[in-house]
Amino acid sequence: MLNFKINSNAIEKIGNFNAKEKEFRLKNLDSFNKNGFPNKKSEDWKFSDLREIVSKNFKKLDLKVVKTDAQKIKFIQEFDHNYIIVTNGELTSSNFKFEEKNKIKVQNYLNNNFINKQENNPLINLNHALSDKGYFLEVEENYKLKKILVIYNLYTNNLNQNILNCKNKIKIGKNSELHILEYTINRSKKNFFNNIYENVVLEQSAIYKNICIYNEKSFGYFHKYSSNKLDTKSSSTFFIFPSGLKFNKLDLEFDLNGENSECNLQAASYLNHDDHQEIKTRINHFAPNCKSFQKVKNVLDSESKGIYQGKIFVKDIAQKTDAYQLSKAILLNDDSEFNSKPELEIYADDVKCSHGSSSGSIDEDSIFYLMSRGLNRQEAIKLLVEGFLSEITNEIKSNSIKNFIIGKLEEQLHEHKKN
Amino acid sequence: MLEIKNLKASVDGKDILKGLNISIKPGELHAIMGPNGSGKSTLANVLSGKEGYKISGELKYEGKNLQEIPIEERAQKGIFLAFQYPTEIPGVNTSNFLRTSLNKIRKAKGKKELDALSFIRIIKEKSNELGMDEKMLSRQLNVGFSGGEKKKNEILQMKILEPNLIILDETDSGLDIDALKIVAEGVNSSRSDKKSFLVITHYQRLLNFINPDFVHILSNGKIIKSGSMKLAEDLEKTGYKGIK
Repeated sequence: MLNFKINSNAIEKIGNFNAKEKEFRLKNLDSFNKNGFPNKKSEDWKFSDLREIVSKNFKKLDLKVVKTDAQKIKFIQEFDHNYIIVTNGELTSSNFKFEEKNKIKVQNYLNNNFINKQENNPLINLNHALSDKGYFLEVEENYKLKKILVIYNLYTNNLNQNILNCKNKIKIGKNSELHILEYTINRSKKNFFNNIYENVVLEQSAIYKNICIYNEKSFGYFHKYSSNKLDTKSSSTFFIFPSGLKFNKLDLEFDLNGENSECNLQAASYLNHDDHQEIKTRINHFAPNCKSFQKVKNVLDSESKGIYQGKIFVKDIAQKTDAYQLSKAILLNDDSEFNSKPELEIYADDVKCSHGSSSGSIDEDSIFYLMSRGLNRQEAIKLLVEGFLSEITNEIKSNSIKNFIIGKLEEQLHEHKKN
Repeated sequence: MLEIKNLKASVDGKDILKGLNISIKPGELHAIMGPNGSGKSTLANVLSGKEGYKISGELKYEGKNLQEIPIEERAQKGIFLAFQYPTEIPGVNTSNFLRTSLNKIRKAKGKKELDALSFIRIIKEKSNELGMDEKMLSRQLNVGFSGGEKKKNEILQMKILEPNLIILDETDSGLDIDALKIVAEGVNSSRSDKKSFLVITHYQRLLNFINPDFVHILSNGKIIKSGSMKLAEDLEKTGYKGIK
C-alpha cells in the first residue's frame, strides 16, 4: 500500500500565506492525512475504492510539476468560439474576441473563502490544503455572451506520477448567460492524478450551459467536485460525455437556493477496457417550485466499470418540487459492471419526484433485425450503441456543436473497434 | 430458388417443425396458411437465420446449404424477411438505417455504394408509392410507428433492397383494408420472373389481392395440403378444422 501522507512543509513550498489561510490549509491537510484516500468502507466511495486504485497505479504522487514551454494546440474549427487555455490546471491564455471586454473577468484563481466547513470527502480536504492553480471567471450582470466559451484543458506529456490540485470558480451575474464547452486534450502518456474543486455561482435569472468532453483516451485519474449554487430563476444545464480516462469520478452538487431555479444534467458514456467511471450527484431542493432533471446513459464494454449514485434531497419548505432521475446502462460484456444507487430524501409533502434505473445486455431481437438487413453483428451493435447514446446528444440545441460532439463520440466508438 | 426437405426445428426441446417440405422456383409466389402455433413464424425465423433453433433436414437457397450462411450474408445474398413484429430501435434514424442497409447489400453484390443524394431520390420515390409520409423517414426506426406504419416500412425496405426471395411473415395482420391494398400493391409491383415470394398468413384476405401460384396449409409443423387459390377459398368457408 502506498503510504500517502503529506508533510506540512508542502504548504510552505506552494507559497506564503497569511495566518488565516495557512490555518485553513493545515487543518485540511490534517484531515486528509488522518483519513488518506477514501476506500470502499466509506458509503460515498463504496463502488470506487480509490485507495486501492491509487495504490495499484501510483508509486508516488509528486506535487511538483516541471513547467513546460507554451504548447500549441489544435483549435476547434467547426464553430466560432471564445477560449481560455488551461495547462495542467493553470490558466495560460484567454481570448474573448467576440465579446465586450469589460463584461468578462478572467484571472488566476486564489481562494479567499476559509470557512472551516467539515468536509466528508478527503479529496476536497486535499484540494483545500494544496490547491495552487486554477481560474476565476466572472460574467458581469446583464450580459449574454455572443459565442460559446471553449475551455481547452491541456495536460502535457511531462506529467508522470504527479498530482494536480486545481481550484476553479465561475460566477455568472444577474440576467447573464454563459455557455461553456470544456474540452480536454490529454497528451500525458503516464499516469497522473487530477483533483479539481469547482465552485459555480449563478445569480438571479442567470443561465449556464456546460458541455464537457474528453478528446482522447488517456492515463489520467480524475476527481472533480463541483459545487453549484443557483439563485432565483437561474438555470444550469450540463451535458457530460466523460469517457476516456482511466479513472474518473464526477461529484456534482447542486443547491437550488432560489425559487424557480432549475438544473438539468445529462450524461452519455462509452466505457471500454478497464475504464472506471463514477458520476455522483446530489441535488438539493432548498426552495419551492424548483425543477431538476437527470438522465445518465452508460455503455460498458470489456472490463469497464460504471457507477451512478444520484441523490435528490427535498427540504420541508421546497413544495412543488419537480425532480426526475433516470439511469440506463447497456453491458456489452460479461466482465463489465454497472452500479446504480438512486436515493430520494424528501421532507416536503407536495412534490413530484421520480427515479428509474435499468441495466442489461443489448437486445438480441434488435441485433437480429439489423443483421437480417445485411449488417454484421459488430455493425449492428455499433448502430444500437450510437442510437442509445444519441438520445443525449440530440438534446444539444446548436447543430454545429451537436455534430462536433457526435463526431467525437463516434471516434471513441471507432477506437473500440480498432482495439 | 428455395428447396426445403424434411425440415425439423425445435426450440428448448419442443418440436415445432416436424418434417416440412416445400420447393419454390424463381418467379413463384407461395402462400402458407395455418392456425396459431402451427409453426409459421418459426419457418420464417429459420429461413432468415434466427438463432436458438435446433434444425435438421435440408435447406437449400440457390443450390447452397442455407444453414452455412450467416444471417447478414443471407440478407446480402437476397433473402428478405418482412417481420411480423418489426423491432423498435430507439435513436437510429430510419432513413440512415435504410441507406446503411442498402449500401451493405450493394457492396456485397459488388455494386457502388449510393451517395446521400441518389439515395434520397430512391427512398422518396418508393415511399410515395406506398403512400408513406416522408416525415416518417426522419423518425427513429419503428419507434412510435403505428402497426400499419411498421408494416409499410417493411415493404419499403423490401422495395429498396431488391431481394430475390421475400418472406412476408403475417404482414397483413393488423392492417386496415386500405393499408392492406397498398401492401398488396407493393408486392404485386415487385413481382418478376426472378423474384420468389413466401407469404405467411392467417387469412385469405391478402391472397385475394396478390394471387398466389400455390397455397399450402401448415398444421402441427407439417404441410398437410397444397393446392391453388381455391384451397384458400375453401379454407375460408370450412376453417382449419374442415381441412383434413
